[in-house]
Amino acid sequence: MIVLHAALCNRRLLLWGETPRESQKNPLPSYSGLKKGAALAAGGPAPLDYDAGPEKLREVAADTGLARAPRKTAFTQAIAWVPTLKGIPLASSPLISEAPVSSSQGEIAPWAVTAIPLDVEQALNLLYGCVCKHVLKPGVVVGEDLAYWTVAMRFAGELVARQQFLPDVVKEEEEFRAHWTPVISGPDSERLRKLADAMPEVARALNLEPGIAPSDARLTVLSGFIAQIVDFAVRGSRESPAPSAQTASLRRAKRPSFDNLHDQWLFALHSSDDRLRGDAKLLEQLASTVRDWQRPISLPTSAPFRLCFRLEEPEGNDEGAPGAPDGQDAWHVHYLLQDMGDPSLLIPAQQAWSVDESEALPLKRRGFNVREYLLLSLGQASGICPRIEASLQNAAPEGYKLDVTGAHEFLTEKAAVLEQTGFGVMLPAWWSRKGTKLRLTARAHVKSPTMQGGGLSLGELVQFEWQVALGKEKLTLQELTALADLKAPLVKVRGQWVQMNAEEIQAALHFWQQKSSGSATAREIVQMALGGHVAGRVPGSIDLQGVTATGWVGSLLKQLEGRSAFEELPAPQEFQGSLRPYQVRGYSWLCFLRDWGLGACLADDMGLGKTVQALALIQRDRRSGEKHPVLLICPMSVVGNWQKEAARFTPDLPVMVHHGVGRAKGDSFRQEAEKQALVISSYALLQRDFEILKDVAWSGVILDEAQNVKNPETKQARAARGLQGGYRVALTGTPVENNVGDLWSIMEFLNPGFLGTQNDFKQEFFVPIQANRDPEAVKRLNRVTGPFILRRLKTDKSIIADLPDKMEMKVFCTLTKEQASLYAAVVKEATEALQLAEGIQRKGMVLATLSKLKQVCNHPAHFLGDNSPIPGRSGKLARLTEMLEEVLEVGDRALIFSQFSEMGEILRRHLQETFGREVPFLHGGVPKAQRDRMVERFQGENDGPQLFILSLKAGGTGLNLTSANHVFHFDRWWNPAVENQATDRTFRIGQTRNVQVRKFLCVGTLEEKIDEMIERKKEVAAGVVGTGEGWLTELSTAELKEIFALRKEAVEE
Amino acid sequence: MRHWDNYYRYFPPSIPREAKGGIRAQSKRGSFGQSWWARRWIAVLEGFHIGARLNRGRSYARRGQVLSISIEKGLVRAEVQGSRPKPYEVAIQVKRLTTQSWNMVAKALSQQAIFAAKLLSGEMPQDIEKVFEQVGLTLFPEKLHDLVTDCSCPDWSNPCKHTAAVFYLLGEEFDRDPFLIFKMRGRSREELIAPLGSTKGETGRIKARKATSTSPVHQAATPSEPLSPDANRFWAARRVSDDFYSEVRTPPLAAALPKRLGSFPFWRGKVRFLEAIEPVYAKTSEDGMRLLLGEAETEVVDGDEGADTTEQ
Repeated sequence: MIVLHAALCNRRLLLWGETPRESQKNPLPSYSGLKKGAALAAGGPAPLDYDAGPEKLREVAADTGLARAPRKTAFTQAIAWVPTLKGIPLASSPLISEAPVSSSQGEIAPWAVTAIPLDVEQALNLLYGCVCKHVLKPGVVVGEDLAYWTVAMRFAGELVARQQFLPDVVKEEEEFRAHWTPVISGPDSERLRKLADAMPEVARALNLEPGIAPSDARLTVLSGFIAQIVDFAVRGSRESPAPSAQTASLRRAKRPSFDNLHDQWLFALHSSDDRLRGDAKLLEQLASTVRDWQRPISLPTSAPFRLCFRLEEPEGNDEGAPGAPDGQDAWHVHYLLQDMGDPSLLIPAQQAWSVDESEALPLKRRGFNVREYLLLSLGQASGICPRIEASLQNAAPEGYKLDVTGAHEFLTEKAAVLEQTGFGVMLPAWWSRKGTKLRLTARAHVKSPTMQGGGLSLGELVQFEWQVALGKEKLTLQELTALADLKAPLVKVRGQWVQMNAEEIQAALHFWQQKSSGSATAREIVQMALGGHVAGRVPGSIDLQGVTATGWVGSLLKQLEGRSAFEELPAPQEFQGSLRPYQVRGYSWLCFLRDWGLGACLADDMGLGKTVQALALIQRDRRSGEKHPVLLICPMSVVGNWQKEAARFTPDLPVMVHHGVGRAKGDSFRQEAEKQALVISSYALLQRDFEILKDVAWSGVILDEAQNVKNPETKQARAARGLQGGYRVALTGTPVENNVGDLWSIMEFLNPGFLGTQNDFKQEFFVPIQANRDPEAVKRLNRVTGPFILRRLKTDKSIIADLPDKMEMKVFCTLTKEQASLYAAVVKEATEALQLAEGIQRKGMVLATLSKLKQVCNHPAHFLGDNSPIPGRSGKLARLTEMLEEVLEVGDRALIFSQFSEMGEILRRHLQETFGREVPFLHGGVPKAQRDRMVERFQGENDGPQLFILSLKAGGTGLNLTSANHVFHFDRWWNPAVENQATDRTFRIGQTRNVQVRKFLCVGTLEEKIDEMIERKKEVAAGVVGTGEGWLTELSTAELKEIFALRKEAVEE
Repeated sequence: MRHWDNYYRYFPPSIPREAKGGIRAQSKRGSFGQSWWARRWIAVLEGFHIGARLNRGRSYARRGQVLSISIEKGLVRAEVQGSRPKPYEVAIQVKRLTTQSWNMVAKALSQQAIFAAKLLSGEMPQDIEKVFEQVGLTLFPEKLHDLVTDCSCPDWSNPCKHTAAVFYLLGEEFDRDPFLIFKMRGRSREELIAPLGSTKGETGRIKARKATSTSPVHQAATPSEPLSPDANRFWAARRVSDDFYSEVRTPPLAAALPKRLGSFPFWRGKVRFLEAIEPVYAKTSEDGMRLLLGEAETEVVDGDEGADTTEQ
């Protein structure tokens, strides 16, 4: 476990890390390559207890984006100035070390840490890899400071994208350097200040000299960082700035000589060596000329004000003759000064003109000449807008009047240019509110016969005619011509101003005459109606707004858009078990889209029963005569679960699991598959056996945990798209709709072409949403994807009513090969021994064997007790990790019970490393005070831990843990009473949410068998067996043999 | 090629020594100066009827023969590399207006905000000469004794080609800085602007402030901030609001900022300034977008990414 940090020091990011003390092999590192800093030599600060040290750092560096900049990793000894309480440094999180309970505040004290100084390129490579990530890989956690720098990097990127920079000469420590300097003006400076405020102290808490703690202001530190990134990005240099003395001298030799400073400056602006050489006086002069040259831009950017233009519409008499432009010059543009410190403060220009030396006004700022600023700004704006120029004929201009044409021009053209130039622009709300603008649009009107019987499909060709609409209102040809005759660019229709563009009206008229009807497939119409990608479908320059339709196309659209309900279907007769009301709706929805040949993504919360809804769909198809099988692809860890669930809910469906070494190949696979109703396989095999999978004519393809194909470039995503199937369904519990980038891949699997190509999607949705948070684009995306994604939360009102307070589920897992061979070895040894043993000895042996087998099912490392690596060795753990990921994603809290404290420790280590979050573990050895604190923190409202591991014995009684709504029993105590008691921890007073309880068991092992036995005689068990597992020892050797036996399906391939 | 000047007197064309790192005119051919006021300045020179010396002056200016120019109130000094090893010294002296005259001008200029506004945004107001005429003055030197030029070269003509070269270069600087002519007339930018734009009328009462360094990087150091010992503030970042990133558009026109500022004063580079700078802007937006979106340059895709973790 390492938490990575980065602090800016001497214009470099220093990468360092914290690790918990126990995982540190050498608390006092001695290694080659570390420059012994002055600190250590001079008996400086003691090394930080949690310092990750060079080995760990080097390892991490190799794993992160740093590896992409091939450079020798150099270490340096840095001083971290860290809050320290009574001589003990406070760690960044309980992952590293539990904070001491104390009411007093610590003080900042110096500690020596190992750091890797990064040049800008290395820093960027590192930061790229950390964007929006909490964990880089299991055990490597992105500290908040590191995450903070990614935000700053993106801000710098924005400045570069918007070309907000100028060539500059800066003086640093008596050296002049050629730099590209960011120009941060207007609202950007406000954002910079906000960003500086958000900086965690640790981001500036490192330096190289002991003695004085760093104290550069956050704004200074941030500005410096952004300036560096901007300079680097613009310079476009892929070279490193002279890492060693040798190459430095080489480069110096290569540097051409210049006969003038200007050429040298240009060269240094592009070179990796940004230093300027020559006579200091001349360089100073150059710097001053640069400042002089930049002044028209730098003066306003350093101003405490911003000039704003506010357009005001004519006052009063709203009910004037509709459509008629109001009297002359009834509109106003006012000049205002906006206070950058308090943007809500708007000062009319008039006050600035009359400002007097003696007056105390908000306009007075030390060393700032407000009139000069106002004049300069107006001068710049006058070049953009002649009307502003005309207003300057006055000695003290305050604004100007304009007519409706002028207002329209201001709204449509000038405002944007002024804004881009850095001025503030304030427009009437009806204009600036996005999406409320009324515009002329084209829409297709489809007339189709009413739906009757089946036989209709999206392949059907339908006729439509084009219509022209204003907002939602359809316009007749006469109305359109009447509008054209008005010749006013802004028309007030029913109290609302509407933009009328003469060209658009002409385009609409023309369009109407040219093309009044057309035909398309119903699928294209659907795509058009939902605003999907329809390149080149609309002729002319007029916007396509949508589709209106009557008849069956109309009803289909209504259903898709959720404006009318689709038929609720009863569960198929053969389906065993009953569907809850919302499951009936989900199943019916799946059927509805399936019948139209449209793909569906069922994204219900975990625990709402996606599996049964999908199984019901398969059963219904089979019932209605479907002969071809359905292919279900899921993670290996849930193959067993699917098999179990299918056997339970749809027992008459032939099911085949395609996995394992002995799986069918080639033709025999196809023949086998054709006999099934359902073929279950894994993502890994989807890639590996794609060749044989793609040759089967599937009636449908279902992807479970469909987030596995979110990256469209992966082999498994390509393979999924390459399968032929009648319908497609994706199941996932993670909120896919929140990750814009992931949507394309899943949608492309479900409904190919709806979102255009990956590039179209990037242009139309991803960039506007990700970079601009464009609410329009979000809305459009929801419109086009909404009909195909159904997500219900367990907290939805309508769902809660359908759910029991407590849902108990069993999670069937498989063993890994390693687990299986260990299991077999234990069984072999035990059966031999049991033959001979008797009495007490036999009882003990039975219990010991039970325990060993449980350990094997839990994790090989648990059984072996060898502290070996954790990931990838246990089916249960893999499944638990996946499920907890969903729990964390939706912000729920979970309790995880194990009866073994060794396993609890393994779980804690694994989960902390995987999620980079604190996971407390309460077991018998935890003292009372600490126990109370754990419970208190878990129960706490805000940022308490979301996961809590408890040993069954210690956590099973006397605790109140109602903030959890998930309970996982990682292993079983073969006694329902004990398990239930633990579960009830979450059921104490105050629990308002439904609780999901999951019991993990490995299929084909003793866990499954004993579970079956308990299920068979639940009452008996509860009565007879007390609280122990002793009843198992009463079983005969033959029975035990049967219980212990390992069945084939237990093992993954 | 041989030259005959207006006076039909033959003289051998002196070949100037190659000058290194001199100031280079930014215009490649045609007339010097884009703006009307720069042309107005050039017209003053051309009013002297010095014939072929104008051409020679232009080519001197383009070839970088002018080694230095320094501008003080009412006086321009320059060094020009001619045919002799030692550069010639050129002086152009413009008659300065009296304080009284300036007060009159200031009063007239403050009647309309446009004068100061245009000047500050780097442009000479159209009607400025009228304002000077109204108070009986001229902005540009008109009468003979308004302008005295001098050069250390042996040419008897005054102005000579060396002076002409300096004139042309000044013309280009006029394009960028309309305050130059005022400086030559005896008023610095600060002195000129201070009384303008106030409804309280004239007065040069506001002291001319020394130009403070205003470039963002040259900002005065913010006071130091000691590290907070509060563990939470120390380790945790504060949330940046969701609307921190708003709309980002790449500008339709590359290099808007430097274009707004105009060419660099007395540029000496081999490539013209804006030509050298503009390509940088044109190619950079995409890189910036990548930084903004947090995407590495090449997407590295692992075929097995996200595959079942249990199968290894």
